[in-house]
Amino acid sequence: MATLTVCPYCGTGCQILIDELDSSARVIGYSRSPVNEGKLCVKGYSGLTYNFSKERLRYPLVKREGKFTRISWEEALNEATTKLRSIVRDYGPDAVAFQSSAKCTNEENYLMQKMARLVGTNNIDHCARSCHSPTALGLIETLGAGAATGSISSLEDTKTFLIIGSNTTEQHPIIGAKVVTEVKKGKKLIVADPRRTQLAELADIHLQFRPGTDVALLNSIMYVIIRDGLQDTSFIDSRTSGFSAFRDEVMNYPPEKMEIITGIPPQMIEKAAHLIGSERPVAILYAMGITQHIHGTENVMDVSNLALLTGNIGKRGSGIFPLRGQNNVQGSSDMGALSEFYPGYVRYDSDKVDFFEKLWNSKLPRTRGLSLSEMFEAAADGKVKAIYLMGENPLITEASVTDVEKGIDSLDLFIVQDIFMTTTAGRAHIVLPATSSLEKEGTFTNTERRIQKVSRVYERPGEAMEDWWILNEMGKRLGIFKGYDSPRDVFEEIRAAVPGYSGATYENIFPLGKQWPINDENPEGTEILHTRSFPIGRARFVPTPYGDPSEVVDEEYNFIMTTGRNYFQWHSGTMSRRTDILDRESPEAYVEINVEDAKKLNIRNSSFVTVRSRHGSIRVKARVTERIMPGVVFVPFHFEEVRVNLLVGNQVDKISRIPEFKVVAVRLIP
Amino acid sequence: MINVLNAREMEDLFSRLRKDYETFGAVEENGEVVFDKISRFSEVSEKKSRYAPKEFLISRNENVLSTPDTTRKAVFGIKSCDLKGFYIMDKQILGKDPFYTAKRNNTLFVNFVCTEQCAGGFCSTFGGPLLEEYQIQVVRDGENYYVLSSDEFSKYLDGFKEADLSRVDEMMSKFKEMSPPLNVEGIENRIKWNSILWKNFASECISCGACNYSCPTCYCFDLYDRDDERLREWDSCILGGFTSTSAGNVRNSLDERLRQRFYHKFVYYKKSRGEYLCTGCNRCVDDCPVEIDIKEVITHDYQSE
Repeated sequence: MATLTVCPYCGTGCQILIDELDSSARVIGYSRSPVNEGKLCVKGYSGLTYNFSKERLRYPLVKREGKFTRISWEEALNEATTKLRSIVRDYGPDAVAFQSSAKCTNEENYLMQKMARLVGTNNIDHCARSCHSPTALGLIETLGAGAATGSISSLEDTKTFLIIGSNTTEQHPIIGAKVVTEVKKGKKLIVADPRRTQLAELADIHLQFRPGTDVALLNSIMYVIIRDGLQDTSFIDSRTSGFSAFRDEVMNYPPEKMEIITGIPPQMIEKAAHLIGSERPVAILYAMGITQHIHGTENVMDVSNLALLTGNIGKRGSGIFPLRGQNNVQGSSDMGALSEFYPGYVRYDSDKVDFFEKLWNSKLPRTRGLSLSEMFEAAADGKVKAIYLMGENPLITEASVTDVEKGIDSLDLFIVQDIFMTTTAGRAHIVLPATSSLEKEGTFTNTERRIQKVSRVYERPGEAMEDWWILNEMGKRLGIFKGYDSPRDVFEEIRAAVPGYSGATYENIFPLGKQWPINDENPEGTEILHTRSFPIGRARFVPTPYGDPSEVVDEEYNFIMTTGRNYFQWHSGTMSRRTDILDRESPEAYVEINVEDAKKLNIRNSSFVTVRSRHGSIRVKARVTERIMPGVVFVPFHFEEVRVNLLVGNQVDKISRIPEFKVVAVRLIP
Repeated sequence: MINVLNAREMEDLFSRLRKDYETFGAVEENGEVVFDKISRFSEVSEKKSRYAPKEFLISRNENVLSTPDTTRKAVFGIKSCDLKGFYIMDKQILGKDPFYTAKRNNTLFVNFVCTEQCAGGFCSTFGGPLLEEYQIQVVRDGENYYVLSSDEFSKYLDGFKEADLSRVDEMMSKFKEMSPPLNVEGIENRIKWNSILWKNFASECISCGACNYSCPTCYCFDLYDRDDERLREWDSCILGGFTSTSAGNVRNSLDERLRQRFYHKFVYYKKSRGEYLCTGCNRCVDDCPVEIDIKEVITHDYQSE
């Protein structure tokens, strides 16, 4: 039997066919898929054996006298809900917080945010906060929709790619590969990245700029475009608003003046600006390099400014492509698992919340909830007493993990639902064993807004249950859900709750998926957004002044550290580190240091160095390389034994509340 | 022996084989040709399968602390290029790898011979698509199925109408006329260690391993322990951790590893086993996300470099 489902790793959402011939299963890319056209990366081919790890959670566990004890589902669910209820009774609904997961399905995210809101709180958030919350907020502000404007296949019509803050071939390998094949055909490529990534090596122009100076870089490119008259005037006149205020701001950013900030010589800025201005359509791909800053939302809006300035929206080959990290970041955000948005990006304080009061037949909270990091702070302050967390591992992945630890240790009730005993789950009072995405049914929405069907391939281990089932049982016991029969049942409600999903059904999204909005107007879905108008009428230019990152170098902390992932590991390693081949390829943490810097500091390849920030320190092996610019170091965040997030401070973007994972001032001590 | 059968007689042949074997075949599911259990010959798809069904002999994952599977299986619809992979592999691992050997000896492949070249394929370069070594080989000509059987299996064809090879030969020469072989002869001497090709490939390669996993002649595996199991899993020589030593991989950079793959295919195996480790199936090209083409390794003008 060959089962068609979606790869559980990144937001590209490659469709995989798992063919079980006998005991061993073959994984192949689905050749009809418009997403991956039969191709896969190493994680798709060799990354799925975590599913069979003997370490999978098989039974509900409760911590008694510091030790986990096996209990029945009945006991676990009753204990969890009884305690939640008494906390709500004693301290009010805002004493409870929910952390959903971009690894879970749309149906599950929908259920968790609904649970939070029916309990009476908007304290619902998930890891999209730490990756693409600036995208949702920024692009909704400028364009009216927080999502990629085109499709992966539309990149075939692109003439120039601008990739900023994305190591695409490592993090969205199949999209990266698409760029590689297009460049082989002669398409132009500009890469803006402090690291010399594989795409940077293939690029016509590599702008190796200083971390955190994105706005200065983008503004100076736009300065040249306007100065040299390369903007798309008819697009600006007919489709946008706010141009003159924006232009006035940008005119403060001549490349000659910006070089001192970005480190990029003016001639290179001009070259890039001329390429963007002349070789259209241009597609702009970005990822965490843009968003994980205290100016993350402004960075996103400045990307949007550039697309609007050059008329690169609404046509095949053009557009803005925020590349989603987790497989279902787009979907979990669409479902409203965010503290400021109800499903379909309805703001907590909007009149449209009335609609959900009717749909769910309940009075709903109208105040902004806590973001991920705020939840832990509130827990440390004693304001949040209980957290119900599904499929996340914040003790590894959140910024300023010492604060996260403090918060968790202060909780009266910490419920964790996961497929493994993660570092975070180890601190829980109650652990609920969930199934992996290879063992359940539902939908994921990929980085190009494509809603795709997830199908069960394997039987669940032990007594582990699907997340939707657990949420449903919890909701019933809390007296807030009348009960759902199946993921399909939940999806039917999503269709009513989220306008862009209204036309999607389990039947019509199989096997190829459909891109939202899918509705009466667009029954086949929508490949390219904003072709004739924007959801907000005219798109908005937003002037974005440059501001320094939260941390700057000084005499003591004289290096900038940026954090991120590598090709083989995935986030906190819960899956990838239990996958033999992936873990073999990247078995341990490292710090990338430029050759020149290493020489000066007398650091040899593979020797240990201490990396110390103003917040903490780690000891880690040096990887001396030319791929990173002098003055900058890179550390991946996958490794629990070397938690780089001990070094990341708690400064967040004021608009999106995303922490600044990408700019940390550090000192290297050999 | 060569016989000619019609569709109904093919069902009869299938029934005869089904008495002795568990039957599998290339079938279409979700628009993709995969391998699955079948109970009738008519279920078999004649289209090129999505992948070379290596797992009939080398499992994707396998516990080597177990006894080899000796179920007798018959696999219908495997293409000549994919089957040829096993005959080439035999020279290296048959009789040495107990799992492979047990399955090889208990599996009957009924291969389908293409009469038109698939997109990108170049099997005629390696003598395809009609195989010299086979168990039961089928060439379809409209309503007629020409069935070639080796001595061991000709008993299953008893009573069916005998034929000669002339029509098959005719079809094969037409095939070769339409898609002439590439000039692979002597590549083991022409190929260049310092060719620019390897660096070019490395600049594009995303190390996914597809070329290995899709290849009907790649047989390397990784070995690791998982609790009470010792598992071997398909591996990829493109990855840095492949054949790692205490000093790491002796081929530290990606271009060296890519070169090793092609040298293994076109130089070392040829010199040590007398054959190229390639069947012209084009699967590594089909599955490569960045369109690296093994044909370029054959046709590249090394001399002018």
